[in-house]
Amino acid sequence: MRRNWWRWLLLVVMIVVIFVPSVAWMHRRVAKYKTVYRTPLDPTILIPGSSASQNRFDDLITELRKETKVTHSVLKVKVAENGQLSYTGSIRKGDNQPFIVIAFDNNRDGYRNINKQAAWLNIAFKDLVKTYHFNHFSALGHSNGGLIWTLFLEKYFAQTSRVNIDRLMTIATPYNMESASTTKWTDMLNELVKYREKLPAKLTVYSVAGTENYSSDGTVPANSVNQGKYVFQNHVAHYTQITVTGDQTTHSDLPQNKQIVLLIRQYLLQESIPAKERAKQTVNRRSLNGDPDLP
Amino acid sequence: MGLQRQLKGLWRLNQRMNQWRAMRAIKEALRVAYPFILVMALIDFVGQSFLADSGFFFQIYHVGTWLPGLETWRELFQAVSTVVNGVVAVMIAFTTGHYLARTYRSDALAIGVMSALAFLTLNVNYQALGQTDRGGDQLTQFVEGNLGPQGIFLAIVVGLTVGWAGSRLMQMLRKLQLRHPKWQLSWTGRVAWPLVLVLLITTGLGYGLSWISAGGLNGLVYQGLSTLVMNPGHRGLMILGVTALNNSLWWLGLIGPVSLAGNSSVTSLQNLAYAVQHGSGWGAPNPITLHTLGDAYANFGGAGMTLALLIAIWIGSRQTSYRRVANQTFLPNLVNLNEPTLLGLPILFNPILLIPFVLAPAVNIVVAWFALTWKLVPPIVYPVPRTTPGPLIAYLGTGGDWRALVLSGICLVLSVLVYLPFVRLLNNQGGDHDAA
Repeated sequence: MRRNWWRWLLLVVMIVVIFVPSVAWMHRRVAKYKTVYRTPLDPTILIPGSSASQNRFDDLITELRKETKVTHSVLKVKVAENGQLSYTGSIRKGDNQPFIVIAFDNNRDGYRNINKQAAWLNIAFKDLVKTYHFNHFSALGHSNGGLIWTLFLEKYFAQTSRVNIDRLMTIATPYNMESASTTKWTDMLNELVKYREKLPAKLTVYSVAGTENYSSDGTVPANSVNQGKYVFQNHVAHYTQITVTGDQTTHSDLPQNKQIVLLIRQYLLQESIPAKERAKQTVNRRSLNGDPDLP
Repeated sequence: MGLQRQLKGLWRLNQRMNQWRAMRAIKEALRVAYPFILVMALIDFVGQSFLADSGFFFQIYHVGTWLPGLETWRELFQAVSTVVNGVVAVMIAFTTGHYLARTYRSDALAIGVMSALAFLTLNVNYQALGQTDRGGDQLTQFVEGNLGPQGIFLAIVVGLTVGWAGSRLMQMLRKLQLRHPKWQLSWTGRVAWPLVLVLLITTGLGYGLSWISAGGLNGLVYQGLSTLVMNPGHRGLMILGVTALNNSLWWLGLIGPVSLAGNSSVTSLQNLAYAVQHGSGWGAPNPITLHTLGDAYANFGGAGMTLALLIAIWIGSRQTSYRRVANQTFLPNLVNLNEPTLLGLPILFNPILLIPFVLAPAVNIVVAWFALTWKLVPPIVYPVPRTTPGPLIAYLGTGGDWRALVLSGICLVLSVLVYLPFVRLLNNQGGDHDAA
């Protein structure tokens, strides 16, 4: 009888000693899975510059589709002034790296409009997260699209706390608007610098500039693009500036410029591009002399 | 009544099989190997569950934060574990051959060594032989995996074959000598000639097999089984069949094909993804898989629900040796390392225990299948360490669903009930009935 009592006690002690800490461990693990888990769905969200529609990136996407083995599906979202969303296209089932283009009914230039567009982006972004359940993504902004992204990341992104941004690439984004001055800061740059502490600390930013001559791509001054360093440098994990020269470097040609397409594939989509292909691209560039119809 | 008669028939079969020389050799071989395997299992228990990064106790007690010299401890335990665990099958080849030769009154030690060598030649890594010493990633001389627990079946087969053939050869040589007194052969010669013959045959076999499969004979068997077992699909019956087949193979000493490794399969990852986004496993895309049924509810203590067997022994066995083995192997069983129980009782080649060994997990899978299909419990979605105590796997894997814990309890009780009649039947062994 005594022996039995002793055995039952041992059993109870064992259960307590194993069960209690394992439950505590389980709760920690489940919480950790929720924070570090990355969804397989990893969209790339693109925002065009001012005066451009949701079809602005069609050429770029055709170009990207041509050169990648997996065809990425495309979803286009248009945000009306009252925040209403209209969708065209779809994310194909099983496609984990789709493109999502977000455009705005009011796509006009100017400090106040761009701020409004950042707020609209927030509406569209929240709806996308709610619908497609991704918790990380990469972003691409052309021209003012890069400003919309930066404003959004600084002012609204914290509202969707479960989503992380991996990489942002801005193409010819005028961080100091149309000003070519290196000393005089516009309202836009002042605001971007003011809230830069709020930028996600783990973000990697690539700022691509194109130049036709030594100072501009025909629309955006190179100096304005360069001012991005005051926004990002030391406030995100990595900030890289890239300047592309050669043909097809006028402001509106940049998204379909072969070098930039290559940069997008390499850095934003993180495709592994064989060294051969990279070499081929450069050779083509030299020999074609600007005639895109030659093979 | 019918059951009683069947159990009696089973008992008679058991008795008859125990008369077979081969069966006795296997039992004896396992009995000799058991202490070594027990020590190895206790060392593995500490090494795998307390010291390894993925160990259950390592994680729940945060061993890494307070144990000084963690790396040194790991290396020490790993060293010992590798030595014993790495050559278990060689040991068994030796003991099987040795015991069989003894029953033939042949030179037992010599034959034992011969079987061990024959087993080794079957597992030489022939691809490594051609390589010259260039440094870098050298292949090992032996297919090391096959010398551990997963090689036990082959070791038994080799031990029996060599034990029989070697003994016969040595006897023939002795007779030859008696008939032709002029032609003298020393003891060395009597051992050396059979050894040469045996090695010639096994080397030829091993070399031939190396053309077919890189892992030797074992590799071939395992490849076939793994492909079958890895993709049992979603259907309940397939899972049931695969688990039953797998457990029967464990019973034969083919230890390994299915283990608690389903954590990383595609379906499990999909389930995890779903659970992370929705907060629980309810409605996960793959509720019925080998992992959610077998690993969660039919693997307490390892293949064959051996944890339930131990409890059944504690409740119903009057055999001292059984009770002793149950006590000794409880801790390894708690973390799903049941090799010492398999070899110690032994379960291997024991016709009575084969039935519950296959039946108990099957019953659990059926029960779990109903519970999951009727949505009484959510499927396990969160990965758990391999060394998690069996009854806790479902509870922890569902993120703390009490219904899963209850179901685990039910499964454990059911398995104990399945094992009990067979354990009681074995009480007769060595008693009055045996004498008759």
